[in-house]
Amino acid sequence: MTAFILKRLGFAAITLFAVLTIVFFIVRVLPGDPAMAILGDQASASALAALRVRLGLDVPLYQQYVEFLAGVLVGDWGVSMVSGRPVIEEILKVLPATIELTLASLVLGIAVGLPTGVWSAVRRNKLPDYLARIGSLLGLSFPAFVSAVLLLLLFAIQLRWFPVISSGQGDGLGDRLRDLALPAINLGLIMAAYITRVTRSAMLEVLNQDYVRTARAKGLAFAVIVWRHCLRNALIPVVTVVGLYLGILIGNSVLTEIVFNRPGLGKLIVGALNQRDYTMLQGMMVIYTLIVVLVNLVTDLTYGLIDPRIKYA
Amino acid sequence: MKIRTGIALAAILAASNAFAAGTTLNVGMGSADAGKLDPHVATSTPDKGLLHWMFNGLVRIKPGEASPEFIEPDIAKSWTSSEDGLTWVFSLRDDVECHGDYGKLDAEDVAYSLKRSSNPDISAFAKDYSAIDSIEASGPLEVTVKLKEKVPSLLGLLVPYHGGNIVCKDAVEALGEEYQRTPIGTGPFMFAEYQPQQFVKLVANPEYFRGEPKIKEIYYRYIPSDASRDLAFQSGEIDMIYGKQEQTWVERIKQVPGTKVVVMKPGEMSVIHLNMTMPPLDDVRVRKAVAHAINRDAMVQFKGPDVTLAAISPVPEGHLGFTADVPNYEYSLEKAKALLTEAGHPDGVTIKAIHTTLPGMLSTMEALQALLREADINLEIETVEHATFHEQIRKDMSQVTHYAAARFPVADVYLSQFFHSDAIVGTPTAITNFSHCAVADAEIEAARTEGNAEKQIEYWATAQRKIMEEVCAVPIVQSMQLWAWKDTLDLGVEVNGSLNLSPPVTEAASFSE
Repeated sequence: MTAFILKRLGFAAITLFAVLTIVFFIVRVLPGDPAMAILGDQASASALAALRVRLGLDVPLYQQYVEFLAGVLVGDWGVSMVSGRPVIEEILKVLPATIELTLASLVLGIAVGLPTGVWSAVRRNKLPDYLARIGSLLGLSFPAFVSAVLLLLLFAIQLRWFPVISSGQGDGLGDRLRDLALPAINLGLIMAAYITRVTRSAMLEVLNQDYVRTARAKGLAFAVIVWRHCLRNALIPVVTVVGLYLGILIGNSVLTEIVFNRPGLGKLIVGALNQRDYTMLQGMMVIYTLIVVLVNLVTDLTYGLIDPRIKYA
Repeated sequence: MKIRTGIALAAILAASNAFAAGTTLNVGMGSADAGKLDPHVATSTPDKGLLHWMFNGLVRIKPGEASPEFIEPDIAKSWTSSEDGLTWVFSLRDDVECHGDYGKLDAEDVAYSLKRSSNPDISAFAKDYSAIDSIEASGPLEVTVKLKEKVPSLLGLLVPYHGGNIVCKDAVEALGEEYQRTPIGTGPFMFAEYQPQQFVKLVANPEYFRGEPKIKEIYYRYIPSDASRDLAFQSGEIDMIYGKQEQTWVERIKQVPGTKVVVMKPGEMSVIHLNMTMPPLDDVRVRKAVAHAINRDAMVQFKGPDVTLAAISPVPEGHLGFTADVPNYEYSLEKAKALLTEAGHPDGVTIKAIHTTLPGMLSTMEALQALLREADINLEIETVEHATFHEQIRKDMSQVTHYAAARFPVADVYLSQFFHSDAIVGTPTAITNFSHCAVADAEIEAARTEGNAEKQIEYWATAQRKIMEEVCAVPIVQSMQLWAWKDTLDLGVEVNGSLNLSPPVTEAASFSE
């Protein structure tokens, strides 16, 4: 197990280095001038040139790259070219909000998706199955920003149960839950749709296995067969999907963050991209890569917990 | 039981709503986050709009107006200028306090601030102050400004806008880099808190020299989604909202009960600049054909009559020095086609434009494309992402450049930045002269140093006529600034315009209930 984890961390380091290198060069190849983003459209050519020198954009690309890598190795991610604030400080300020939203969506997605998928499989081709399939299809079909606006219209404007915008003013649990509820429901229901379909499919396969027929023949309660024996064997593909989707969820949260006006990594990266904030983009990519690598590692380790027959080499 | 639980939940949620009312103003701004909050560096509309409520200048434009004709004292209580107009002496108020514990503002602060605005290593607006020779604190409450040459409006450079915002020396020096995140001014509201991607909180300045503001807190909320901002306004979570420059927005938001919609100057003028060095636009007859093919009335109807004005001259209406007495190319497809034929293009021409993907600007360009097609002018639009657009048009890569901008409302600014040869793109002194226009350099330069106001205005008028005769550019429409707020909010002034593009929230603003 330890060797497996070390090996995976080694791969993660190589992945990280590759991502850093690619991102460094890609953001600089993109057309668009950070100096223009900072000084605005009234700036003269000489003022823009002077700022490029101050930002270190006048030195050769290889030199910028070496300086950047040297900085990363000692934990210096630089300062945002646009705001002047340290990149790591900017990221750490909004990272908790992204993690909070992602975890809340994940919990909601599993809490709704898993039982619905099981229920749908057990009641195959009956009304509950049709309802679950239509519901999950709707969840997959609705763009997140459309469902977000619909949730706002219903719960914030009509019923007035939740605010349209995150107040960001309260630290109490009530305030946080109130701010989190609609964005988490929005992303969580989409995740639930994925989980429902995968769980249903995996459960249908398991329910047709011989050992299930045997268990039923010897008189074991159906609920015990489903929840104790079948579900555990159906969980491997579900965990795979959850792991994959978690990475996508973090990346896709940007629209939800914008519509519900929540702080988060998504909004930060869109702003950095629009303003050609190279240092911020680089820092963001490191964080995204780390998260994806970590989630994949946890997913792999979870397989072993679910199925003890899986060995790590 | 379930219903009771629902009601209880709703009650708890409502009770935990932290939005105060009465003395707290919640503003919804259409951007994702704050940029740089140093007034000598901030160039974006959201940043300038916020700083507007925190800073003073030596003079100011009367709150609610945007034209320099309304300039009045601010930190300076009076001023004099020498006969040659090159030496100005400002006498300062003695009751101006810097925010926080930075003490009274004096002449040293003012001199430091203006020198900082003139420093290209710090200020984004240094070029505006290049005519200043020296700035000195000639007394504890007296500042002397000496000019190398006359400028069109020195007072215009000293209003609280861009480099004219007065910063407190001790605060800037004590805070260093942190100053751009913790702005310290002398205005009615003081910086209190910044929450990334959420809000900047301002609080009332109890020491404000015009009196303590009635509004005690301002939450300047960053809400990039237009739909969410509108919904937040509709739900009452925000009291003042930055609008979309669209007729449909005005009509929609007017439907919200108790809403006041305000259309403010200065307008952002949409102009298409025709590159006079690239065929077929190097032929004035083709450029005139383009001008004749554009139906401005149709463009105003398209953009919305409540939010736009037809643009007539290369200087926006309302700017000091604007004239409507310029060659007018009335909408006429016959004339357009005849001019093309005369220029040797009986089957029409194809011209190309690099254009941003920003929806508001792109829709204008697509409407122009449809109008030009009627005159056999095929406008090919290559869309690129906004930052790329700005880079490529400055590399002189576009035959036609559609540019929308608001500037300080003195004719010199527009004329110098867009139509003087010094500003031609691709040159070391480039700014935004995309057409390579150089037909009015003499008048633009003469107006800058002309002491007689009437003569100065005549120079500017001649420059505008020459530019239109040569059709360096075709002005299309002026899109006004749109805001809405609750009708229970009384700003204490009639709002016609705002140079910093946000409504004037001053010590006089209050809620009526």
